[in-house]
Amino acid sequence: MRYVIIGNSYAGLSCADAIRRFDKTGEITIISDESYKAYARPLISYYLEGKTTDETIWYKDDDYYEKNNYKTLFGKRVVSVNTSDKKVVLDDNESIEYDKLFIGPGGVPFVPPIEGFNAESPMMGTFTKFDDAKKMERGAKLAKHKEAIVIGGGLIGLKASEGLRALDMHVTIAELLPRVLGLALDEISGGITAKKLNENGIDTATNDTVTKINVDEAGNPTSVTMKSGRELVADIVIVAIGVRPNVGFLEGSGITIDRGIVVDKTMMTNIKDVYAGGDAIVSYDILNKKPNIIAIVPLACEQGRVAGTNMAGVYREYYGGMGLNSVEIYGLPIITIGLTNPNNPSQTVFIHQEDESVYRKLVYDGQVLVGAILLGDVAGAGILSAIIRQGEKCLKYKDEFLKGNIYSFVIDNEFEVYNINEGYAIRGDFEDLPQFSRSNWR
Amino acid sequence: MEKNMKSIKLTNLEDDLKKNQIEIMLYPSKCDGCEGQEYKSCVQACETHMKEKYGKYNTARINIKSKGNKFFPILCHNCEEAPCVDACMPGARYRDNENGWTLTNYKKCVGCWMCVMVCPFGAIERVGKDHYASKCDGCIDEETPKCVEACKKGALKKIGIKNYSYERRLMIANKLYGPHLKINYNRYKNNSR
Ligand SMILES: Cc1cc2nc3c(=O)[nH]c(=O)nc-3n(C[C@H](O)[C@H](O)[C@H](O)COP(=O)(O)OP(=O)(O)OC[C@H]3O[C@@H](n4cnc5c(N)ncnc54)[C@H](O)[C@@H]3O)c2cc1C
Ligand code: SF4
Ligand code: SF4
Ligand code: SF4
Repeated sequence: MRYVIIGNSYAGLSCADAIRRFDKTGEITIISDESYKAYARPLISYYLEGKTTDETIWYKDDDYYEKNNYKTLFGKRVVSVNTSDKKVVLDDNESIEYDKLFIGPGGVPFVPPIEGFNAESPMMGTFTKFDDAKKMERGAKLAKHKEAIVIGGGLIGLKASEGLRALDMHVTIAELLPRVLGLALDEISGGITAKKLNENGIDTATNDTVTKINVDEAGNPTSVTMKSGRELVADIVIVAIGVRPNVGFLEGSGITIDRGIVVDKTMMTNIKDVYAGGDAIVSYDILNKKPNIIAIVPLACEQGRVAGTNMAGVYREYYGGMGLNSVEIYGLPIITIGLTNPNNPSQTVFIHQEDESVYRKLVYDGQVLVGAILLGDVAGAGILSAIIRQGEKCLKYKDEFLKGNIYSFVIDNEFEVYNINEGYAIRGDFEDLPQFSRSNWR
Repeated sequence: MEKNMKSIKLTNLEDDLKKNQIEIMLYPSKCDGCEGQEYKSCVQACETHMKEKYGKYNTARINIKSKGNKFFPILCHNCEEAPCVDACMPGARYRDNENGWTLTNYKKCVGCWMCVMVCPFGAIERVGKDHYASKCDGCIDEETPKCVEACKKGALKKIGIKNYSYERRLMIANKLYGPHLKINYNRYKNNSR
């Protein structure tokens, strides 16, 4: 059996591992257009901050590929997929045949037309790859005024700003929405976050954006003109508006694409033996109850695993995912889970705030918890994630949750629902005892 | 392909028993949060041991949470396909295939709290000051987990899989028939006399 995997990152590797679990001898080839072994993509900003280094940014152990007997083709770009002849074509015209294919090419940064933007400039770019971080590291050294502009106040924009700030740049985030992390946070939590950023040398220009980048003869930025009319000095400009599924190279392959790659419950595309997962796909969103693009690490891993298991011939379905994320901004932890801004009248919001240090918000749809923001104190956040994911009725716990006693739900349920007050075992592998398994919680 | 498929078996029971015996059993109703003591025994034992084992990553991995008069020990449940492993961006959490445990390489942990966000048992603690997330490793290289050793109330026990199933059966029988099964122990005593 020849398995070919496009993408050497969370989705791709999780798929490879799942295949290996069931198929010890099949040939697995992993292709990536980056010449590195797998690295932790979201950590490129931590790299600039020195919180992770050239030694610790690698996602897997050094002997990982060897140990699992994976063939690797790094630094090669897939230019097209020929699903009728079952082969993928690389940029050096080589073609690789497959019996089963997994496509996990992630996202590409979205760059709207902005006058003056030129990704070739050493002082401008996007921020999704290790090379981008290294480029900024060099760029910051050349910066004359130590001024940087980040366009986009979403997660990647925030991370890029933190990274640049650590390189001793003064950063301004330009965000069209009224607050940073506009989709996940609300007014209060967005305000607290912005304040934290401002205190640490990152300015936030909300309700505003860059309309023009003014460049010198060499094509490097000197300043930006904002929608509000202001002109800001800029040595470095980063565009971090968001990412889109990286599906350009699939044109003509016959694979159905609707924004992202469309997959079924087994993570198979409309073409037999071709599977997909990660940032490049639209998958079922259990909260919005429709297919959606949710570009986060945990889902990429889950989807890759479901795909890989099916590819190895063991049937398995994907339950669906939901959006959730966690960041820490200068010592302030922020976790957002599910629907954090109510989008229909049946939903109610409950809020608890202690100054600017702790903020909790719960969004209920009737009896069911559908979203939460935890800021400052994140203990037990995973319990809320599980509750939201399971669609548990828990309105009566709202006061406990707001006070931060998230564990009270577990205590009651462990005692009552599972009736385990006479003891239950938690350690070990439960595959043979499925009825006792606490691990198949999803 | 054919050959591969035949060798596929989700689990080999014998191997699993040898490798992955269920070893920690919770009896939450016996836990009284070590009332009256300055430190909770299990917490203290764990902390001491972690200090030896992980150096600066030394916080206790077990936590006693309470509600009213109920106490509940919170520690890692060692999920199969653990959510914390999926969520960990740098790959600091991983599954050790040799011993079947989800373990942590603390040097890689960057404190992103993705794992805290997904652990369904709330078993991971954010150590904000030192920027890492601590999690029980099951004391895999110890004969008996330290917290079990320390608990004098019988709320934590080490147990093998056979005993587990036996206790489980007892428990269920007790629960289903318990109230109706009135055993007059005195009668036995009288008889034996
Ligand atoms: C700065 C930043 C911060 C982030 N922070 C978070 C966070 O806090 N939490 C979170 O959950 N997520 C975060 N994310 C998102 C996270 O990185 C993605 O969800 C995750 O990387 C998706 O994994 P993936 O396997 O789908 O794709 P990717 O990680 O994007 O990997 C794609 C792979 O495919 C390869 N590839 C692509 N095209 C081709 C081609 N044509 N030929 C060959 N190979 C190809 C690439 O080389 C790469 O190996 C962040 C992302 C960034 C950039
Ligand atoms: S830390 Fe939580 S998610 Fe991870 S294995 Fe333990 S119980 Fe499961
Ligand atoms: S806090 Fe540490 S262990 Fe947890 S997900 Fe982040 S890096 Fe991994
Ligand atoms: S098993 Fe070991 S690491 Fe886990 S809580 Fe007990 S003493 Fe701590």
